Amino acid sequence: MAMIEVNNLTKKFGDFYSVQNVDLQIEKGEVFGFLGPNGAGKSTTIRHLLGFLQPTEGQCFIKGLDCRKSTAEIQKFVGYLPGEIAFIDKMTGLQFIKFIAQMRGLKDLTRAHELMQYFELNATGFIKKMSKGMKQKVGLICAFMHNPEIVILDEPTSGLDPLIQTKFIDFILAEKEKGTTIFMSSHMIEEIEKTCDRVAILNAGKIVATETIADLKKRKSKKFLIEFQSEQELSRFLEEPLNIEQIGPTKAIIKVQGNVQTLLHTLANYKMNDLDIISQSLEDIFMHYYERGGTES
Amino acid sequence: MNFTLLKHEVRATVKLFCIILAVLMLYIISIVYMYNPEMSNTLNKLTETMPELMSAFGMSNMGNSLIEFLSTYLYGFLLLVLPLVFIIMLANKLMMGYIDNGSMAYLIATPNTRFKIVFTQAFFLVASIFILLSVTTLIAIIFSGVLFPNELDLSAFLTLNIGLFFLHFAISGYCFLVSCSSKDLRTSYAYSAGIPILFYLIQALSNMGGSLEKLKYFTIYSLFAPEKLMTQDSSSIWMLGALFLIGLLCYMLAIRVFVKRDLYL
Repeated sequence: MAMIEVNNLTKKFGDFYSVQNVDLQIEKGEVFGFLGPNGAGKSTTIRHLLGFLQPTEGQCFIKGLDCRKSTAEIQKFVGYLPGEIAFIDKMTGLQFIKFIAQMRGLKDLTRAHELMQYFELNATGFIKKMSKGMKQKVGLICAFMHNPEIVILDEPTSGLDPLIQTKFIDFILAEKEKGTTIFMSSHMIEEIEKTCDRVAILNAGKIVATETIADLKKRKSKKFLIEFQSEQELSRFLEEPLNIEQIGPTKAIIKVQGNVQTLLHTLANYKMNDLDIISQSLEDIFMHYYERGGTES
Repeated sequence: MNFTLLKHEVRATVKLFCIILAVLMLYIISIVYMYNPEMSNTLNKLTETMPELMSAFGMSNMGNSLIEFLSTYLYGFLLLVLPLVFIIMLANKLMMGYIDNGSMAYLIATPNTRFKIVFTQAFFLVASIFILLSVTTLIAIIFSGVLFPNELDLSAFLTLNIGLFFLHFAISGYCFLVSCSSKDLRTSYAYSAGIPILFYLIQALSNMGGSLEKLKYFTIYSLFAPEKLMTQDSSSIWMLGALFLIGLLCYMLAIRVFVKRDLYL
């Protein structure tokens, strides 16, 4: 039985489809990434998993329980980090964490303290005065303090500084080691790439691809920005059998998929001023799926 | 019922509760203090000079007994409006406050059903109104007893206050319903404050008499009639029943709406 199952989920607001025919199957112990640009319907899908929204069509199940009907039962073994950072005002971080623990009937706060230490959070201050990153940490602690079997995280690293982001990735990997099933949405491909086993890509409310990270990596192309010493050098280079796009009199972008050996060998014959690697953004990966989606339909 | 949440709400409301209670106490004590069987002539004169204005605030038929005096000066305006302020603020905070700022996500992402959460909040709202009015009633009784022993008709005074509680129960039900069903805090405040204030203004107009009197059929405040309650008139029974029913229906509907509604948290 899949831990998280989404069947043909559709949510319509008036004439607008927020999500349309979304299908997902997440197995036990899997770390599943949910990628998509803003407004693609990631949060809407997650809200259905939490039972916040009534699907127009389709159902969601967590461990076989209907997400809309058995919310309280499901919450016993699920941890959730909302995408919107919002807490009860006039509470300190620690008070809030204790409050949520009590709401859960959780008496043992060892894990919460461990997590606070791990994420270097001093939660004694008022939440209102905390930075975005600190608030995010409070949310993360609330999501993990009861050792949940399944964790649903809506953009977990937003607001965290790079150092803590790295720590977060290590933390997710450790949780994965423990066998926790994790479903996380993101628009940052790096963190998904480092943590997830599989990923679903959502665009305009529809799933455009569900792939393993290994497959995604193969497809991910690299771009090199090269500035040649002269225009002649560039025009000579343009003859080469590579995917070249000229962007200035002496500048060109070369797109390489897979092996970079050929490019490096070729480049050895040219005089260059500069070479830059442009890390591929999510958008580029999307473009790939748009194109493919286009040819299929 | 979730006691952790209840405890949290008690702590978060104590300040507002005390402020409202303090203002009410101040007025109750000074108005009881102002009572003077002979002095009411002066006030009658005031009423004669500007009858419309005084009657708009329900201060027209000044009686000579302490209870009539209190019902005129307290139950026409102060005890209607100040608890209303308390109700509007509390009802909005209890539900829409959490929904609007998103922290409701944390509350319902715990192993508590939505029903449990909303029931706890509804219970807390009703209980705090009950406590507020009980305390004010008690203060009025004690203070009257100290200043004017045996002047206050206790059973009439209690009936009057039971009526007042039912009135606020009904209004709070409406405010709670708005708080549970609105799309954001601003809309919720607008409707939960706007409609009761409108009702109060209609009531004030209809009190001025004449052709405006017919307006009394368009306001919930007509169901709270101090003079009928004090005389324990039979019609006050169905009025209480109507208020109770309005409140109960509103609360039930509010709970249902919240359990079923879509939440964008």
